[in-house]
Amino acid sequence: MIRVAAVGDVHMDQDVVGRFRPALDRLPEQADVLLLAGDLTRHGTESEARCVAAEFGGLGVPVVAVLGNHDHHCDQVPQVVKVLTDAGIAVLEGDSTVVDTPGGALGIAGAKGFGGGFAGRCASEFGEPEMKAFVRTTSVTAEQLGAALRELDCDTRVALTHYAPVPDTLAGEPPEIYPFLGSYLLGQAIDSAPTALAVHGHAHAGTERGTTPGGVRVRNVAHPVIKQAYSVFHLG
Amino acid sequence: MIDEYTEAAVQRLLTEHGGLAEQGIKVVRRERVLVLCGEVESRQRRDEILRLVHESFPDVPLSVDIGVTRANAPTEAEELP
Ligand SMILES: [Fe+2]
Ligand SMILES: [Fe+2]
Repeated sequence: MIRVAAVGDVHMDQDVVGRFRPALDRLPEQADVLLLAGDLTRHGTESEARCVAAEFGGLGVPVVAVLGNHDHHCDQVPQVVKVLTDAGIAVLEGDSTVVDTPGGALGIAGAKGFGGGFAGRCASEFGEPEMKAFVRTTSVTAEQLGAALRELDCDTRVALTHYAPVPDTLAGEPPEIYPFLGSYLLGQAIDSAPTALAVHGHAHAGTERGTTPGGVRVRNVAHPVIKQAYSVFHLG
Repeated sequence: MIDEYTEAAVQRLLTEHGGLAEQGIKVVRRERVLVLCGEVESRQRRDEILRLVHESFPDVPLSVDIGVTRANAPTEAEELP
């Protein structure tokens, strides 16, 4: 059995430092790895990234993250990634990492993902350059996520995104904004490999549980959804 | 009467104001009051939402029902065989 802890959308800044720490101190008793599903900061500044590093660094278990839309807001992505990486937090974007756990090798493929919507109600790569660029952004990231998942050499695969791969876990959000919350292309990427679990955030008003069309379990771990410091999943 | 444009402007202020950056707050337009509900990560953020929305829309009566998301360690794991 592999024990996976996960949370997203912690939106750290100075005012949040220390809030997660009492729970995180107990995390190594409960999990072999912690996944952070994006929106780690409020605006994506280097100083907010330092708050993330202070809170989620040095936990005693590997920490693997993807960024979210908030982490892109101030155009300081390289600085944010560097601060997190220096704190021992692996940041994935279209790539993967393997964590050795007592229950076997856990492969994690991650990407922020992007919007576009879901089957029958989605944007198409057509028309204005802005529209084509929007959809293209999602298809490129989804292709990278799929390739990263398929290429993993491990016992158990997990997909980590910020945007949602299925509409199930968006229930509670206004349907009008689903195209800004995720894309079926991410689900298709996840289904292209034998993935055990897909974890995402972003949809603060969404629902915890869903499945991809291929049967992969999806969990929305946005902090306001799970209402605890992190959730723990026992795989296998 | 609070109109739709006010609702839209408040929703965008919540996200786009540098001191807020909140996308998870629901804005509900009632006949005489604008209700803001949802969850944030700290008390300060809740207070700041109230302060800045009131400052930008002094004539709009607000009802604020925003909680701070709990951050306890989980008591149970989910088994996914
Ligand atoms: Fe978020
Ligand atoms: Fe987000």
